[in-house]
Amino acid sequence: MDRFTGISGLLTRKRQLPVFALLIPVLFMLTGCSSYVQRIVTRSLSRIGDPIDPAPRMITTPILPNTDLAVSWVGHATVLIQIQDKIFITDPFFTGSIGMVVKRYIQPGLDPSLLTRVDFTLISHIHFDHFSYGSIEMLPKNGTLVIPLGALRYTPNFGFKAIRELKAWEVIEEDGVRITAVPVQHFSGRYGLDNAWMTDFGYTGYVIEYRGYAVFFAGDTGYHSELFKEIGRRFEIDLAIVPIAPGSSSGLGSRVHTSPLGALAVFKDVGATYMLPMHYRTMAYGSDSNLAEPIERLREVAADEGMLDSIVDLEIGEQRVLY
Amino acid sequence: MGVERVSEKQSTVAGTFPCRFRYFLKVFVLRHLTRWGFMKHLLTLLAFLSIISAARAQDVQPTKVEVWFPFQLIPNLTLYSSSPCSGFGFEWEATPLLYSFGINKQVSPWYSFIVDPTARFAGSIELTAAAQVFTTKLGNSYFAYSGHLMAYVPLIEWGEKLTLNLGAGVYHVADRSRVFKVAGISTLLGFVHFNIKHSPNPTTWIGSLEFRVF
Repeated sequence: MDRFTGISGLLTRKRQLPVFALLIPVLFMLTGCSSYVQRIVTRSLSRIGDPIDPAPRMITTPILPNTDLAVSWVGHATVLIQIQDKIFITDPFFTGSIGMVVKRYIQPGLDPSLLTRVDFTLISHIHFDHFSYGSIEMLPKNGTLVIPLGALRYTPNFGFKAIRELKAWEVIEEDGVRITAVPVQHFSGRYGLDNAWMTDFGYTGYVIEYRGYAVFFAGDTGYHSELFKEIGRRFEIDLAIVPIAPGSSSGLGSRVHTSPLGALAVFKDVGATYMLPMHYRTMAYGSDSNLAEPIERLREVAADEGMLDSIVDLEIGEQRVLY
Repeated sequence: MGVERVSEKQSTVAGTFPCRFRYFLKVFVLRHLTRWGFMKHLLTLLAFLSIISAARAQDVQPTKVEVWFPFQLIPNLTLYSSSPCSGFGFEWEATPLLYSFGINKQVSPWYSFIVDPTARFAGSIELTAAAQVFTTKLGNSYFAYSGHLMAYVPLIEWGEKLTLNLGAGVYHVADRSRVFKVAGISTLLGFVHFNIKHSPNPTTWIGSLEFRVF
């Protein structure tokens, strides 16, 4: 018999209670719940059943004729970029929630079924709001998926024509398009534990160059003067797409997220002509009290510095032809 | 006598809720908190947390195994129903081998022990070995061990939201081996699995809530 008596009664009903009590913090630990994440989760859970607001605008013609450089903000970090005949999409996010618990506030400004082709799908890092499996599934797979170093192990077999995993400063060239992975300052990991061993890789920005135009997509980043000045030295950038939230609207932001002021500093460091602010308004992070606050703050600081004309201030679902 | 009866009644009526609360506090909370068994579990948990936080504080990057291993000690919870007894159990499982048919073709589809969640829930076939401790209402406990062959079929968002689990397991308990059919779902990013296991003669059901952390 496998019955054991030496510690018999170890798991009798009387002693199961503390074991269950022990499991509660373990479950929190499992989900990597810092107080920050808990605030996000709590806020999202309180919105279960609430409808998601429609996007203020909808992109009806995602691919424009006779355009050199056009940009559309779909929401969060999802930006549709058109450089002449090439179509790029960054960090596609079309689903109703991220990681099953953080609900979006506003619908995406683009119906992905309108996209007949996407030449390059760029993923900045593997956090749920930037690497959404359900959203990528909605896109056409006739192009190349570009991901940061370490993300390949997290990439299902979506069926893209090609998948390219890039480390910092690595370059791919396809059909005249040159994409460079550029270093930014963030953190990686997807499932809580893995950020312990993915400390210095797994996140990136990109510079896209095609036929004389250059677009810098910062992904998710904190401010790091040297990194961005180096990017500015290496590229002549027309458009910088920079996050302005979450977190405090004062100062340059946290180590991993730029504030509006920090985003403006990134914009100046890379020396771009235009800046598109993103990564705000779509979802509420724990510390965001007002979803419009980051853009309002950006307008203030940009006006103070006489840079308001350089800001491509788009609504979700708005499209702008720059050249 | 009459005075005593009135005062007893008054104290019972007036103090029902606070008395029960104090009783709960005393019996359930204080008694369990001060027991060595509970403290042992708590200290173990704190030790794991302190190892991880100390490593971070010293800016020493822990290895994948150092981070992964403590989480494998989190037991699955099982309930079983059989004749003549039913009860509760803990289960610990490991994955000697997993083949992922849902992961992209640029990485190896073969995994052993440390399995990226995506590789499992995006579609895979997994061989697991597990050990169980079952207990009955009478306080008797049994060791068991089992092997499972499971298939994971992604249903929603490449399985990150919902996966169908199907498979079979062989349990060895009380000097007897029995084959169980297994069906269930995985959800919450592949971390949580609900599985139902069934074996005939005598009819036995095992329901398990499983936690898979890599």
